[in-house]
Amino acid sequence: MTRGHRTIEHTADIGLEAWGDSLADMMAGLAEGLAELVCPPRHVQPLRRVQLRVQAEDPEALAVDFLSAVLGRVQVDRFVVHHVEARQDGPCGLEAVLVGEPYDPSRHELEQEIKAVTYHQVRAVCEGGRWLGRVFLDI
Amino acid sequence: MAREYDGRVEQLDPVRWRLPRDPSKGMRVDGIIYASQALIGEALSGGGACQVANVATLPGIVGASLAMPDIHWGYGFCIGGVAAMDVEEGGIVSPGGVGYDINCGVRLLRSDLEARDVRPRLKELVDQLFRDLPAGVGVGGPFEFGQQQLRGICRDGSRYLADHGLADQADLDVTESGGRLDDADPDTVSPKAFHRGADQCGTLGSGNHFAEVQVVDEVFDAPAAQAMGLEPGKVTFMIHCGSRGLGHQICEDYLRELRDAPARYGIQLPDRQLVCAPASSGEGRRYLSAMRCAANFAWANRQLLVNLVRQTLARFFGASPERLGLRQIYDVAHNIAKLETHEVQGRRRLLCVHRKGATRAFPPGHPELPAVYAQIGQPVLIPGDMGRASYVLVGTQGAMEQTFGSTCHGAGRVLSRQAAIASARGRRIDQELAQQGIIAKARGRTGLAEEQPAAYKDVEEVVRTVALAGLSKPVARLRPMGVVKG
Repeated sequence: MTRGHRTIEHTADIGLEAWGDSLADMMAGLAEGLAELVCPPRHVQPLRRVQLRVQAEDPEALAVDFLSAVLGRVQVDRFVVHHVEARQDGPCGLEAVLVGEPYDPSRHELEQEIKAVTYHQVRAVCEGGRWLGRVFLDI
Repeated sequence: MAREYDGRVEQLDPVRWRLPRDPSKGMRVDGIIYASQALIGEALSGGGACQVANVATLPGIVGASLAMPDIHWGYGFCIGGVAAMDVEEGGIVSPGGVGYDINCGVRLLRSDLEARDVRPRLKELVDQLFRDLPAGVGVGGPFEFGQQQLRGICRDGSRYLADHGLADQADLDVTESGGRLDDADPDTVSPKAFHRGADQCGTLGSGNHFAEVQVVDEVFDAPAAQAMGLEPGKVTFMIHCGSRGLGHQICEDYLRELRDAPARYGIQLPDRQLVCAPASSGEGRRYLSAMRCAANFAWANRQLLVNLVRQTLARFFGASPERLGLRQIYDVAHNIAKLETHEVQGRRRLLCVHRKGATRAFPPGHPELPAVYAQIGQPVLIPGDMGRASYVLVGTQGAMEQTFGSTCHGAGRVLSRQAAIASARGRRIDQELAQQGIIAKARGRTGLAEEQPAAYKDVEEVVRTVALAGLSKPVARLRPMGVVKG
């Protein structure tokens, strides 16, 4: 399994790109990228699992809705993420698990407040058997 | 990732540029960008102009799709964008025309404090404000509001606080819309939005939000400055922030709720981020109601922050806010959509005016102005960057005639956050500012690097442009002395 993610430049905000062998891998990469921007995973322990299920009308909407759900857990419920597991649920759905622990200010540093996951130039496509995704975040 | 504008551009005069209506792109009206020669290049290459053209395609737009000189790329609408839609002609409302930070805005306090007296204790004062003002990622405030109280804040804004002893009528009188928009029904706000905002009323947040200690550096319009209580050498306090997580969530909720609306109403969109619905439709009215709730929350947020500033200053200087001459000059929103009546082609029309990174700038004599500003026009507060200056302007008749009573809102970014961080590598931004006599403190590791002066356009050029265009009139320049950032 090869998957990964990276941040990309944007004048006002920040973008994320991710890739993977499957839609689920790529989405998990985007989710890990987003969670990492809020709280780097190096001091996060994989103690708890939080489940998410998201369905959408197309892969781009799925990327926005899934990452918005992740953002809710990370930013609102203060759950910091070690890694993300995901599997596809139907033609355009995901079942995902955020593995991490509740935010502890003595060990975790919150680096970035993210306002929202946007639809701007959102991309979720399969090219040559490899899934590529891109979203921009309003920060 | 920004797209360069590839359509025609005509220069109308030194500060006005027309993007002629192009029916092949679906444009219903022209685009007009207010920019000097120095600013237009970035506007055309940075993606903002394409967005001006995109907004010109939206149903019900009247006049032109407008952009102020602080234009830069935004989500859907550009930042610095103004668009007015005729509500009775199917005009739309779009969450992308307001943005995620609903009623992000600025509040300014004046004081009798002399900068020369404050400067010897400036570091101590900034440290104290830094301790007292809740700021930074994930930082909640000292105010705990239950569900019923949050609903009250969303419905009645600063008025709710006044009714509960947390705001004075004098502050409400000099707050845009009195700090409360009508027709804000808390039932249109999701539980998730309430949850996100629960501990955030009375917090600055992070990003480009700040609290600043400033000195009045120069006065350009003495009668207007006198009406506001601004004198050279005196200290002012500025707050810049918005509706926090509650507003972000409302925008997100309604972008999702309106996702199918364009298809239902037969609206073709060039960008998914422009989702919209007729302002008079059920969906449009629900969004407007929720957006007003966020706007009211934001006014309450700035009110609580200003209360904290007053308390800090009273303790720090050992004198009451009254003795310090602390008085609110004004509070403006710069991310908002409002139903306003404007004259268009000789006819009074009810318009949904979107101002996204643009400030209302009503002229002298406008019925919405408080008595104290009836003769001079509405104060317009323009934050610059933390190294150069901020400005106080007043609204003009020219703004009413050209831009539905709107002007610029700030400096506008030119460097991405990553580029700003990269350019700050090996430098100490706080020390560079200290050499200019400015004490800056930020909670986040990269806050000062991201928000360094070089990341922004020169606000002076932006202000000069709106003044030349007759959209507003400079009153005073404020120089930063101390900055608190999230």
